[in-house]
Amino acid sequence: MNQDFQLKLQAYLDGELTERDTREVEAVLAGDPEARALLTELRNTTDALADFETDLKLPETRDFFWSKIQRQIQRQDTLAERPTPVPFWRRLLIPTGAFAVLVLVGWIGFKSFGPASDTEAAVVETFLTDAGAMTYRDEVEGMTVVWLSYPAENEFAEFE
Amino acid sequence: MSERALTASEDEPLVKAAQRGDMEAYEQLVAKHRDKIYARAYSMMRNEDDAIDLSQEAWVKGWQRLVQFQGESSFATWMTRIVINLCLDQLRKQKRHRTESIEMMDEESGGVERQMPVVTVNPTERLERAELRQRIDKALGQLSETHRTALVLCEFEGLEYKEIAQAMHCSIGTVMSRLFYARRKLAALLADLKKTE
Repeated sequence: MNQDFQLKLQAYLDGELTERDTREVEAVLAGDPEARALLTELRNTTDALADFETDLKLPETRDFFWSKIQRQIQRQDTLAERPTPVPFWRRLLIPTGAFAVLVLVGWIGFKSFGPASDTEAAVVETFLTDAGAMTYRDEVEGMTVVWLSYPAENEFAEFE
Repeated sequence: MSERALTASEDEPLVKAAQRGDMEAYEQLVAKHRDKIYARAYSMMRNEDDAIDLSQEAWVKGWQRLVQFQGESSFATWMTRIVINLCLDQLRKQKRHRTESIEMMDEESGGVERQMPVVTVNPTERLERAELRQRIDKALGQLSETHRTALVLCEFEGLEYKEIAQAMHCSIGTVMSRLFYARRKLAALLADLKKTE
């Protein structure tokens, strides 16, 4: 009797075989006393275990056992109701996020409504011919220079 | 109506009341099924303290998940599955802290059980119930956890091979080998115990 057949014999006992395999096992059992002996041994073990758990009793009184369960249920209910403490880093998350959004909005606004670009508007020159003044604005440096001609150009004209 | 079906129908109003938050109803369910749940935990853990703790934990979990119970199986079966899962988790945790013995690796590879002589006489015949229980208890204690678990899930819980394989995270072939070894070893142990007594 090989191992595969031994396992098949066990599966026969446990009702795990297909009809075809059942017939095959029954045919072997009919002519093999060794297989029958093994099946009897397996069946005896199963029968011996049948009522084993019935006699096992919890070694604690009804009230004591229940009081432990009840306490644990109530403790876990309380834990579930209690708001979970927010960790420090999560408390910082909201103001930091709000600040980041403000900075972003400001930057987008500056980009949209400010000078078109640093290079395009790097230098703006304005001639105030009437005042005899010229303004120079460097956006990159953030510097404004005003040239005043003295005497004013229009004054020269007047003198002339 | 079978005894099991009768118990299930008796449980129904208590389960419904407990699902509405009635703790007294739940206490009655605990009182009714606590021995069965404890017995299953004890069969798997082989330790009274672990069995008490795990059955208690199972009842707490049962209360928390009671709304999920739809009545596809009986309440007792549903509770038994909870305690079995807790025991399996506990056994896995314990296993992580231990190294497997050489004997167990031999058993896992298969073949040892084939060398055992067949026990031709029923070793439990004509035994008193208490004596039989004691003898089986002792023999079960000598099986490795994996073999005992396979045996408990098959013999006591009546699970199919594929369900045992799922619960134990192994193949059906492994389940069959473990079960075969466990049964043969148990038969040999019971026979030995009879001889030595």
